[in-house]
Amino acid sequence: MSVLELRGVSKRFGGIVVADDIMLDLQAGQILGLIGPNGAGKTSLFNLISGIFPTDTGEILVAGVRIGAMRVHQRARMGIARTWQNMRLFQTMTVLENMVVAPRDYAGESLLRLCLRPGTVRQADAEACDRALGILERMQLAHLADSSVTDLPFGQQKLVGLARALMNDGPCLLLDEPMAGVEGQSYETMRAVVREEAARGRAVCVVEHNISFIRDLCTSAVFMANGRILERGGIADLLASKTLAELYFGA
Amino acid sequence: MDYVFSILILVGIYIVLAASFNLIIGRAGLASIAHPIFFALGAYTAALLAIHFGLNPVLATLAGAVVAAVFSLMISLPSLRISGDYLMITSIGFQLGLLQVIKNIEITGSQGGLSNIPTPIAGPERGAVFSIIALAAAAGTVLLIRWIVRGPYGRAINAMRDDELAFIALGRDATRIKIAIFAVGCGLAGVAGGIYAFYFQYLTPEQYEILASGTMLTMVVVGGMGSTWGPVVGALMLVALPQAITFLQLPPSYMAPVQGMIFTLLVILFLFLKPQGLVSPEPPAPLAHRRAGRV
Amino acid sequence: MFEPAVLAQILWTGLATSSHMVLFTIAFALVLKVVKLWNFAQAGMMAIAFYAMYAGVNQFGWPTLPSVGFGLALTLAATLALERFGFRVLRARRSSSLLFFIFTLVCSEFAAYALTLIFGTEPAPLFERILSPVRIVAGIAVSDWDLLALGVTIGLATALALYLRFSSDGRCLVAVSDNAELAELYGISAKRAYLIAFALASVLVCAGMYLYGTRTAVIPTAPLQLMIFAVIATLLGGMGSVLGAAIAAVTLSLLQSYSILIVPSKWQGMILYVFLFVTILFFPSGAHPMRLLRRFGLRRG
Repeated sequence: MSVLELRGVSKRFGGIVVADDIMLDLQAGQILGLIGPNGAGKTSLFNLISGIFPTDTGEILVAGVRIGAMRVHQRARMGIARTWQNMRLFQTMTVLENMVVAPRDYAGESLLRLCLRPGTVRQADAEACDRALGILERMQLAHLADSSVTDLPFGQQKLVGLARALMNDGPCLLLDEPMAGVEGQSYETMRAVVREEAARGRAVCVVEHNISFIRDLCTSAVFMANGRILERGGIADLLASKTLAELYFGA
Repeated sequence: MDYVFSILILVGIYIVLAASFNLIIGRAGLASIAHPIFFALGAYTAALLAIHFGLNPVLATLAGAVVAAVFSLMISLPSLRISGDYLMITSIGFQLGLLQVIKNIEITGSQGGLSNIPTPIAGPERGAVFSIIALAAAAGTVLLIRWIVRGPYGRAINAMRDDELAFIALGRDATRIKIAIFAVGCGLAGVAGGIYAFYFQYLTPEQYEILASGTMLTMVVVGGMGSTWGPVVGALMLVALPQAITFLQLPPSYMAPVQGMIFTLLVILFLFLKPQGLVSPEPPAPLAHRRAGRV
Repeated sequence: MFEPAVLAQILWTGLATSSHMVLFTIAFALVLKVVKLWNFAQAGMMAIAFYAMYAGVNQFGWPTLPSVGFGLALTLAATLALERFGFRVLRARRSSSLLFFIFTLVCSEFAAYALTLIFGTEPAPLFERILSPVRIVAGIAVSDWDLLALGVTIGLATALALYLRFSSDGRCLVAVSDNAELAELYGISAKRAYLIAFALASVLVCAGMYLYGTRTAVIPTAPLQLMIFAVIATLLGGMGSVLGAAIAAVTLSLLQSYSILIVPSKWQGMILYVFLFVTILFFPSGAHPMRLLRRFGLRRG
């Protein structure tokens, strides 16, 4: 089942082409690797999917629904969950608080609902708390629930970023360099969680430079450079290609 | 004795103004300095309703608050859909533009001001009754805002302030939150306006000029942006300082500029030396949850 | 009322009086473009410029040129100090734009209060005589002031344009305004570019206040009102375009001048704010003619 589809998506900023006629079809259960040199437009593609910039041409569809006219928060509610290269955790809040504001529907977002039906808001809050703790337990972070995110080491902060994105139970998960700077137990945990999510039917797209992670996890990959998709296919083929190696390491 | 009551009433009004302004710029981080004009909208609306329709002061004040809140939408809706920076400019333009209107139309008394605002309470208890009203409004405002910012809504506001883009990408409608907060803050300023109109019974456009925003900024920045009691401290300071300045025995034409200079200088000093203000933000209410691990 | 002679006169006088507004607008737009700052402290700069020149002429009894020089020197000192000790600190702390906004506004208010203390609230022109000799050229009254105003404005605007285009410093400013981080990588100092931008703004502001003050009596809070015009023109011209802002300033000024034919004088002051709202509602990215045509479907692209 097609979860995320990009049809002919293009975008340029002044003279720079960040996306050139991108065609993508992400299926449920698939883990797609998005690789390529820096500046290839990988993160920009995520930003286009999220809705941070409008596309110049082309369509983006989630589960068959065109989301081109939707704003960022609406697309998140359609089920696009993402992480960020620099995590973007809420610095003045604890781990649990970071996660509780992250579900697709957040009861405390409406002042009106807070005033008229405070009971339902409190209830929804408690449910979100439970869900969040469940996710944290899966990732062996439950003991950090009340820690301030700024107190955590880098690797754990990245895990929290992933945990926060998982609060969005939608069909699509976009991970932007989740493994950068992560090693040891955090690496293992992240890998296991991503695999689990795909097994549960999520469509996952991962931007990564970490080749072993890609080889380990991804079912297929797409190679981007200068805003274009140059090649796509199975991991082994892509990684064996000489032209790609030149582009990647020569860049 | 009347003098003491005036001070108490001013303290009450200033606390409402400072707390509501703090909600807008300190908590939600919205760049608006048009607070004085919403104070004006509340005051003029309440006064005009009382003068021309004989509406009782409580209803008139509430009407003033509603008018202020509705007018706030006129600024927030068009500008926030673009960016927060636009709100900055729109708010100044709106304040000055609306002031021009007030200064030029007959019904508001134009430059000369609006006087003879009827008041239901006359006689010696007037000061005492209004003091209670003003201080009750102040307490109500502070507690209302405290209730809003603790709990789930406050958590959303904090996250929005920490990283708005990440916040939005989680599915939160930041624009709607900002518009709501702006409306509540401006509505509260309208309430303060109503109270002012019915006690002092005389309104002039000069009180709401762009320099008035400097006074409001002083209360909030020096008191402590983002804290519950900061605005209270700021309001007390704003009422106390001019009293202290009168002791300097300056000629009257020097009083206003000296006062203004002290206020603005305080803001600048605090912005650089102690940005959190006199009262630091208190830590948020901890999330009540089951201990992890127990099933 | 709408006779050609009247219209022509309004055109000429309107253009002449737009001169100082154009200078204020260019100064504001330049700082916005290069420093990426909505410099509401410019009102303070304008006030300092005028009152320094005023003090020179009226208090110290100096001739015009040294007084103007004094005004320029004080404005430069104040502005550069503001950038060096104010904005740079806030930038290093990654302060929010709200804090910058509060700071710039409060600086202008402080200046207004301080100057009220020193000079009082009586309106005061730079020289005692405001009127300048007038001659009739082709049926239009042309005053010496008009010629000076147009000359100074065109001269300074052209000089700025040439400077930005052809001098190495000027090109640094443009590079920094495009992408400060990238420019730093190429060895261009953003800090220096900011100082230069502020210095240029000071010159423009000083010239503008000279022209304004030789025609109108000034009060310490006047610059705050004048600033609104500069802000609106900058918005209308499209942020990042100094030329656009200048054109918008002239257009707005002329529209204001011609509006006396239609709008009663007591509503003259409102026109500007109506424009602000129209701009925010319909042209938030500026009223560039090409963009307008595209927007209304008259041009593909």
